[in-house]
Amino acid sequence: MDTLQSLSNDLAAAVERVAPAVVAVHARRRLPSTGIHWQPGVVVTAEHTVRTAEDITVTMADGRSLPAVLAGRDPGTDLAVLRVADAGSVTAVPGDDAALRVGHMVLAVGYGPRASWGVISALGPRWRSWRGGDIDRLVRLDLVLYPGFSGGPLVDAAGRVVGLNTSGLARETRLALPVTLVKRVTDELLRKGHVSRGYLGLGMQPVRLPEPLAAQLGLGPGGLIVVMVEPSGPAARAGVLLGDVLVALNGAPVGDLDDVQARLGSDRVGVEIPAIVLRGGVRTDLRITVGEQPRRRG
Amino acid sequence: MGALTAEPVAAAASGLAARLAGVTVEVRGRGRDSSAGAPAGAGVVWRADGLILTNAHVAKGAVSIVLPDRRVLPARLVARDVEQDLAALVVEATGLSAAEIGDSDALRVGELVLAVGNPLGIVRALSAGLVHATGRRFIEADLRLAPGNSGGPLADARGRVVGLNAMIVGGLAVAVPSRAGWRFVRERLAG
Repeated sequence: MDTLQSLSNDLAAAVERVAPAVVAVHARRRLPSTGIHWQPGVVVTAEHTVRTAEDITVTMADGRSLPAVLAGRDPGTDLAVLRVADAGSVTAVPGDDAALRVGHMVLAVGYGPRASWGVISALGPRWRSWRGGDIDRLVRLDLVLYPGFSGGPLVDAAGRVVGLNTSGLARETRLALPVTLVKRVTDELLRKGHVSRGYLGLGMQPVRLPEPLAAQLGLGPGGLIVVMVEPSGPAARAGVLLGDVLVALNGAPVGDLDDVQARLGSDRVGVEIPAIVLRGGVRTDLRITVGEQPRRRG
Repeated sequence: MGALTAEPVAAAASGLAARLAGVTVEVRGRGRDSSAGAPAGAGVVWRADGLILTNAHVAKGAVSIVLPDRRVLPARLVARDVEQDLAALVVEATGLSAAEIGDSDALRVGELVLAVGNPLGIVRALSAGLVHATGRRFIEADLRLAPGNSGGPLADARGRVVGLNAMIVGGLAVAVPSRAGWRFVRERLAG
């Protein structure tokens, strides 16, 4: 068969492979968003498209309309998880996002099914969303995310889900959340209903260290000066004082708040980690038991 | 994989583009320049005996057709249906290379499609994309069109014309299905 035809057939087959697990999520006015039937009875979608916590319904690929219950949401990573009874057993086939390369042909699929075609335009390292979530990897797309496509799967040419598309984390560029992150956050949301983040109970500001001191420490060129210590917070209990300069956390230098946050993932909560502070210009080693960030209400 | 697959795909696509360009005409309307007329859109050579199919909104006021071999022929409007956005023009010619017409009902979501037209005055330019959604009155394609594509062919990966590009809605290409074209020709040009 002609190569163009076989490519065309492959792309259509990729859509047909994922389509039975692609659902419409009715959790906002007017336009529904898309969701992925992730595991039996569990639908994942983009958190920013869930505007109501009650009266959510899901339209399955076979046309059935089913009630859904919000099991958890994480605005930071823009992921929300719904529980849907009697959703059936046809779920999405996850792919390997680590194998993605710039230029790979991908498809975004919306409920219907509807399809959009393009390529991976850029890949980047771990990044922090403007909503404060830690995203394992930047996956930037050159394709059109049509209205209602947020929350739907990004699939490779074989129809395996490599990401979840969202327009909620960037205004101009089209992004997908890597499937590894979707899996991790979904598991945590199903377990706890929210994603916990590590917490020190400190207010800090970046400062540069005097060069001889920085050279002597052999860490980074700067640190974070403590300007607020929450009484009886995790850091206070470990002995951190106002005016200390935090230069290392869990064995790695810290120069700004992103460095600190990167070391306070949900797996650190309740764990004792080493910290190095400068107190009056002298290195002081402490051990801090990481707390859990208090959640905002509402 | 890699270049071993991508190169033949690219070669096949350019071959198909040339074939499609060979069945795509320019439709010209009354213009200030009385000789050739103003560009109005595109059309598909539906039959070798000079039957051209295009959109109703393109055919309105059409005076001439520019064939792929650059011949300019006067066009006669023989049927027009605004509802379906279809029109038939006839030129005095025989032995034209006609399009192979495919079945729009057989389209699958995700399948590759190609469009040829005269977007923004660029004659017989190609766009590639895929079928976005099926099962509606019109075909929706994830494909970049521009004014001037109207009336031109939307073809599948075998080069069979499955629709006539008609409009751009929310960034999507919207095409009149080839089945509607068949029916239109059968019902309006009988005998």
